[in-house]
Formats: sequence, structure tokens, C-alpha cells
Amino acid sequence: MPERAAPGAAEMEFAALVRQHQAMVFSVAWQFLRDRALAEELAQDVFLSLHQHLATLESPAHVLHWLRRVAVNRALDVARRRQRRPMVSLQDAPEPVAVNSTGDPMLGSALRRLVAALPEKARMIVILRYQEDLDPTEIAGILGIPVGTVKSQLQRALTLLREKLSRRLGEISL
Amino acid sequence: MNLEDELRTALRRRDPSPDFAARVLARVQAEPVRRASGAWRRWVAAVAACLMLTVGAAGGYRYYEGQRAKAQVMLAMRIAAGKLNKAHKKVQMLNHRSNS
Amino acid sequence: MRMGRLLLGLGIAAALASAQQVKWNYEKLAARASETVDVSLSGNMLKLAVKFLSDEDKDQAQVKKLVAGLQGIYVKSFEFKNKGDYSAVDVESLRAPLRTAEWERIVGVHSTEDGEDVEVYIRNAGKGVGGLAIIATEAKELTLVNIVGNIDLETLSELGGQFGIPEVEVEKKK
Repeated sequence: MPERAAPGAAEMEFAALVRQHQAMVFSVAWQFLRDRALAEELAQDVFLSLHQHLATLESPAHVLHWLRRVAVNRALDVARRRQRRPMVSLQDAPEPVAVNSTGDPMLGSALRRLVAALPEKARMIVILRYQEDLDPTEIAGILGIPVGTVKSQLQRALTLLREKLSRRLGEISL
Repeated sequence: MNLEDELRTALRRRDPSPDFAARVLARVQAEPVRRASGAWRRWVAAVAACLMLTVGAAGGYRYYEGQRAKAQVMLAMRIAAGKLNKAHKKVQMLNHRSNS
Repeated sequence: MRMGRLLLGLGIAAALASAQQVKWNYEKLAARASETVDVSLSGNMLKLAVKFLSDEDKDQAQVKKLVAGLQGIYVKSFEFKNKGDYSAVDVESLRAPLRTAEWERIVGVHSTEDGEDVEVYIRNAGKGVGGLAIIATEAKELTLVNIVGNIDLETLSELGGQFGIPEVEVEKKK
């Protein structure tokens, strides 16, 4: 009969959870904050919280959902505490400043810069949609906003990204 | 070019530093010491340590209980399926013999 | 009688019955066994286990489907040090609770290759199958399986092939 997990085994299981989910948590923070050191620190904090709350989580799916929600909320909190950029509407989002592309293809790099320049809520919606492949209902659940708001923000963000990208790279298709 | 596909490629997940997990575990292990600065925090840490040993018996760590239950289900089904499959195959063999 | 087809034909989706656990009296066997495997899952623990079964792993996904509607899974497997540590009388006493109107023995096979006998019983509950019981005996091992609830026998039997149990070849004509 399988034995109860000894403390050593529990630590190993937690380490396995960290390795399983670290890319997701880090990437949400990094794509949103565009600061690697800050993203790693935030990701560490998220996993520390996970360790404290693990007893309340009921399944692997619950762990994943919990990690996403906490990573998103912490990233939004950090962004708010940083020096605020002036609030702009989607239509007036500024052209991005140059970011170290680390050898990525030009298009991908340009897209990341454009996404980073989106207002916070739109930026997080785009990250959850295209990095995490979540549907609008799931995104609404994580952000605590109506599904309709997610859909409209997503549509407007895509329209803006398309416009700005086409100015850089010429015509692009839908 | 499809913008949504390009976004999925551009925003694909990236790994943190190679020693990220090790640093998390180091912080987890350091946490109770850092938090023992106040008397009430030491008390909470002591109670939490006892709970880890005893409340676990009552199913406090649902994640670990769930993994254990899963292992038991898989073991049970392997045993049941193995016996049933053996009977099934024997019956098939007997049928084959009686038909030939 | 085509036992094979009867067994196959019992891959059923039947109504759930108010199934009950078989009341086996195995304390004496347990006392004589050198090793015991004991699985007892019902109610909330069974539901919890289902939550942790992965949809992405083929075996786990199939088990998840099989187990989803069950009320209990009970397995006792006793290993003995010596042949003769349990007797035919012991086995007969295990058959006793299954000699009721509710239970029907659908197959009993004896393998001369490994000396294992397997008896399979199903519990009739109104219009369908309400449970499964298996008594499997070898020289130094005795296994009892009781599954309470609606179980798909065909899928369960197929799973036995997938779990690494070697396929038994049908003897070819000489």
C-alpha cells in the first residue's frame, strides 16, 4: 500500500511542481513587466505563496489555475506600484522603445514590443490569450471582469496591434 | 501571415534562469527562520510544524492525499483488470478450441 | 455456450444500483499472509482520486472514465510464504457472500500454465450491473476484488491488456 508522503518526499513533490510550472509563472510576469530580474523575483514570490497554500489546493488543475491567478494579480500589482505611465487609450498607445531582442526574429520582437506598450489590462488579456491559450471566459475568471469586456478589449488590442505592425512591416493579413 | 499565430509564437513561454527552482526551494527552507523574528510568529511556525505531522493524518494536505488516492486507484484497477483480462483470454482460448 | 461473447456483451452502460460492498471475512487470511496489498476507496476519497487522474495519460484517462460512476473500489491481495498456507475451505468461505440471488458467477477459469483460478461475479441490480467481484487464487497468492457501482467490464478487461499483461496467444492447430 502506498505510504504517506514523508517530509523529504513532500519537498520533492513541491520541487516537481516548481519545475512543472516555472516557465508559465515566469513568462506571465516577464511578458507583462518586461524586466527579467523583477519577473524572476515575482515568480519566486508566487511559488513561496504556493508552498504556503498547497494544503488548500485539491487537484493539479486547481494548482495550475491558482498559480496563473496569483501570477497575474501580482504582476498587475507590481505594474501599478512602478512609476505610472500616463493613461492612454488604445488608439493613442505610443510606439515602443527599443528592447533587447536577444536574437529573436524581427516580427516576434516587434510584436512583443507592441504588446508591452499596450495598457495594462489589454496587455494581460493578450498574454493570457496567446501565451496561455485561454479562452475569454477563463480570462474573465482570472481577471474578475465580464467576458464581454475581455472580448472587446481583445478585439481592440488586435486591431491596434495590426495597425501598428502594418506600419512597420507592410500589409499583413488577418 | 496570421497575426494570432504570430502572437502565439512571439509570446511563447520562456524559462527562468537554470537555478530558479533551487532558489525557490532555498527560500522555502529559509522562510520559517526569517518569520520567527516575533514571538507570535514562532508560535505559529511551531503549530504549523505540528500540524504538518498530525493534521496530515486527517487529510490536511489534500494535494498529497489526492496523489495517494490516485496511486491506489491505479493499483486497484491494474489488479482487477489483470485478473479480468486473464479470465477473458482464457475464455477466448476455450472458445477457439471448441470452434476448431 | 459462447462464454466469450457473454463476457464481451457485458460491456454495459447500466443504471446505477444501490450496490453494496461484499462482506468478505478475510481476517484469518490476513493474519497468515506474509504480505498484503489493501486498497479501500469509496465516497469522497474516490472522487478526490478521480480529480487527480490525468486526461493526457492514456491509462489514467481510461481509468478515469471507468471509475467516474463508481461508489467503491476494494482490493485485498494476500501473498503467502508457503503453498498450502490457505486452503480450499478458506476459498469456499469467500464464495459464500456471493451465493445470493443478487450475485451471478459469469465465468470461472483455471489456468494449468500458472495454476491460477479466476472467478468473476457480477451483481445484478434491477435492470443492470451493480457491481463486480473477483476471486483469484494461485499457489501462494489470493486476490479479492470488489467494485461497487456501474462498471464497464469490456473496457476494464481491455485495460488489463494495456497495463503490460502479456496477450495470451490462442493455440494454433498443430
